[in-house]
Amino acid sequence: MFAFTKESEEKIETILAKYPEERKMSALLPFLTLTQRQEGWVSPEAMVEIGKRLDVSPAYVQSVCSFYTMYFQYPAGKYIIRFCHNISCYLNGSDSLLDYLSKKLNVEVGGTTDDKKFSLIKEECLAECSAAPVMRVNDDYHVNLTKESIDKIIDSLK
Amino acid sequence: MEKETVTLTIDGKTATVPKGTNVVDAAKSVGIEIPIFCYHEKMLRLGCCRMCLVEVEKMPKLMTACTIDATEGMVVKNDTPKVVKGRQGVLEFTLLNHPLDCPVCDKGGECPLQDNTFNYGAGDTRMEFKRFNNVKKKELSPVITLDRERCIACQRCTTYSEVIEGDQALVMHNRGFHNDIGTFNDQPYDTRFSGNVVDICPVGALTNSIFRFQARTWDLDNAKTLCAHCGCNCNIEFGARENELMRVVSRQNDAVDDGWICDKGRFGYEFVSSKNRILEPGIRKDGEMNVASLDEACDETVSKLKTIIEEHGPKSVGFIGSPFASNEELYLYQKLMRLGVGTNNIDHKSYDDTPGLPVAHYDFTDIESSDLTVLIASDPTEELPILDLRIKKAVTRLNRNLIVLNDQKTLMDKYASLSLRYNVGSDGVALAGLAGAIADSLKQGEAPKVEKLEKTTGIKPNSFKDFAEKMIAAKKVCVIYNPAALTGNSVAIVKNLLSVLNQKPEGECGAIPAAPATNALGAMDMGILPDFYPGGVSLSDDSKIKEVWGESAPTEKGFTTCEMFEKAASGDLKALVVFRSNPIVDFPGGDKIEEALKKVEFLVAHDMLHTETTALAHVVIPSVGPGFDEGTTTNIGGRVQYRRKGLKAESFPDWRVLAKLLSGFEIEAKYLDSFTVTAELAKKVSGYEEIRRGSIQKEGKTRPAQASVNGKTPEVTSPDSIDGFKLRVSEKLFAKDKILESESALAHHFSEPKAILNSVDAKKLGIKSGDRVKVSSGNRGLSVEAEVEDSCNPGAVVVSNAGDEYRVLALIQDHNATVQVSKE
Ligand code: SF4
Ligand code: SF4
Ligand code: FES
Repeated sequence: MFAFTKESEEKIETILAKYPEERKMSALLPFLTLTQRQEGWVSPEAMVEIGKRLDVSPAYVQSVCSFYTMYFQYPAGKYIIRFCHNISCYLNGSDSLLDYLSKKLNVEVGGTTDDKKFSLIKEECLAECSAAPVMRVNDDYHVNLTKESIDKIIDSLK
Repeated sequence: MEKETVTLTIDGKTATVPKGTNVVDAAKSVGIEIPIFCYHEKMLRLGCCRMCLVEVEKMPKLMTACTIDATEGMVVKNDTPKVVKGRQGVLEFTLLNHPLDCPVCDKGGECPLQDNTFNYGAGDTRMEFKRFNNVKKKELSPVITLDRERCIACQRCTTYSEVIEGDQALVMHNRGFHNDIGTFNDQPYDTRFSGNVVDICPVGALTNSIFRFQARTWDLDNAKTLCAHCGCNCNIEFGARENELMRVVSRQNDAVDDGWICDKGRFGYEFVSSKNRILEPGIRKDGEMNVASLDEACDETVSKLKTIIEEHGPKSVGFIGSPFASNEELYLYQKLMRLGVGTNNIDHKSYDDTPGLPVAHYDFTDIESSDLTVLIASDPTEELPILDLRIKKAVTRLNRNLIVLNDQKTLMDKYASLSLRYNVGSDGVALAGLAGAIADSLKQGEAPKVEKLEKTTGIKPNSFKDFAEKMIAAKKVCVIYNPAALTGNSVAIVKNLLSVLNQKPEGECGAIPAAPATNALGAMDMGILPDFYPGGVSLSDDSKIKEVWGESAPTEKGFTTCEMFEKAASGDLKALVVFRSNPIVDFPGGDKIEEALKKVEFLVAHDMLHTETTALAHVVIPSVGPGFDEGTTTNIGGRVQYRRKGLKAESFPDWRVLAKLLSGFEIEAKYLDSFTVTAELAKKVSGYEEIRRGSIQKEGKTRPAQASVNGKTPEVTSPDSIDGFKLRVSEKLFAKDKILESESALAHHFSEPKAILNSVDAKKLGIKSGDRVKVSSGNRGLSVEAEVEDSCNPGAVVVSNAGDEYRVLALIQDHNATVQVSKE
């Protein structure tokens, strides 16, 4: 069963305070984000709960959730690695680095490691072209990547 | 109030339209068609398909005609090379991945994509890559199948689900290249109105699973007719091929259905080919039913009735008519009974009702223009689905107000700004309390006196006051009440309430008597009543009756259905003619009725399907029924419309049966078709003078409201306190009855009845949701699942009338509908 934690509930209060009561459905994206931060993904049960809170149908929640590729509708790893493969990074060798990382973690691009520690995702531009190649691990950016720096970053993650 | 207008020119033609009209509709008003996909006049302007590009003077780029308002002096061009090129480009995009399914597609022949491609499409494709393939058959529900490849992502269907149905069940997932129409977690899309998406999908993506690949649309014989399932009388088109019904689609009539129909109307038509149909007349001899010709059956009926009349007088014969039959059939039957047999033992219902209203008779469109709609004892969602959509429209899109007074919770409560719930059985007191509150506020009008208002109804006097004040404050009030859900003389109290309300100094008010049955109002108008002749002529109006119906017309009050059954049980009623009615199942207390019917010396059942009642009959005559029959019906708004036949019947129309019976009683009956009957009733029934073939063809015609007989202020009787629970039987749209049987395409909606208990009572009895409980009275017991929900106030139990086999109404064995509830 899904339930918001106490901390999440506190955040919900702040979120809801930002929108007029009759427009509370506008709080849908913050709710989805909050849910994903709490659970690592947005489960169907969570969608039902969000729908109840915001007076929209679970179908609507799911339709919005599915538009944003950064929300997961399945359980993802503890660390979400988003690897840019857009033009600047590509010109700077991101494809071979992504390949390297995929072999290192022993997971296919788009997949999650068996120990549920890492999800490796190919991402469109992360808006950090001046420091390409770039990847993002959860909320942190890692720039000017090389095989060595990737090793270091991954090894530092518990 | 005059609406402000604007004048613009489109391709040189001048159009004057109400302010707020968009350019697509403005163009349509002068006969210019702007191609569209996503725009639908009943929904939001989406601007998402870009098909409707036009040039507008002083605007630099092509504009989407559906999203812009027509403005004064606007100059629109619909056929310049720039416009054509723009549309060609849009279509090329739309068609990039669209499959070449036209030769097999259900939409073929009535497809906007075909039409627009014909007008603007390129002859060839520039696409060099393989078309993107996608799912060809995704079952959204047992009746709706999505062909994902054909979807052009116009979002009409999802908008419909959100705006019209109001439940956001159908949505667009993965918006973008991988967009997909679907529901939450692939649950079925099985709302009450889901089928409309098939009509509005501008391509063959959303299809009717039953019609899918069955016929080409241009091969169908289409009959513009009416749905015969409920009192809304929605306009539909019957598509038949070789006398087989292939599909039902909606046929827009804004004064009735606003262009929508419910799924019962669309998919619930198996009864036209049910194996349960009565195909031939029958006469019972020595207990055995033998096939007979129509002449034999009619002769037998006439001669037996004549013998009984001779021996026991005309009062020993009774007639139970049907609120589902047409005006013509009912008119002829009452003529037969009154002039042929000579009795007023004529009725069609188990509740009290009288013709006429002390206020205006409102129509569906009045709901939109009323500031306030008051819903009394009505559950439109289950009883009159299209009324549900119209009220939702008024509340959610036109900013109207809704208030509700009912004894059970309904889905309409969600849309109401005030919802009061009276105790089951206290409707008379509650209505009198409300009438009193209105009279108090207005300081005029006389309402019945009530005592212990709060204790009896469970509603605080202050709440009545708030409710009354809302009704007085609104400029235009529309009161919708369901006479069939009221008890005792409550209908008289509603009418008293309406006349009190009518005295408010400002504004106007009107009412809609919303009995669920298809032609309940028509049955009242046609005088299928023991105390009124057609046109609401009271028996006391002796001279009028004699003038219209002749000197021998009976003026003694006849028996109500209830009295007829009592008299049958006591042996005083010797013969009964039952037309398209199955009182054993559909009337409260069926067991007693069954016993009574067994005692009747001569029982004639004239019906479409075999029922518990026809099984007891001595003579059975087939009635062809909807699909095959023709005639007029009168909907809850008083609109008389024409129900055409869509199929050819093997047997004879009902009016011909009636003509035979009438001739048997030496009454001239030279009818050529149903319209000759219509012509006669137009002469005889006041209010129907203007009803004739020509006047009702298109949208039907509203018959003028009948005035109600002004009586004195009715008395209120407080409900008895009982030992046990009061049973409230709630209606279900998709009930497993004779009409929607187990083979119905809608069978997935069937469910067992539930006993819904108030949490206070449930606690006392130690019952939780999901427990099996027994609801019983007398020798009847029904084992059902309990649901604990405050649907009604403590002291009552709500059981849904989920199907004939459960015989829920048989649990009602006294006038209080007392039942016992115990845990199993
Ligand atoms: S299924 Fe039909 S109505 Fe729905 S988005 Fe696709 S094309 Fe439009
Ligand atoms: S609302 Fe009533 S009349 Fe209309 S389609 Fe449904 S059942 Fe038929
Ligand atoms: S009809 Fe105008 S954008 Fe679709």
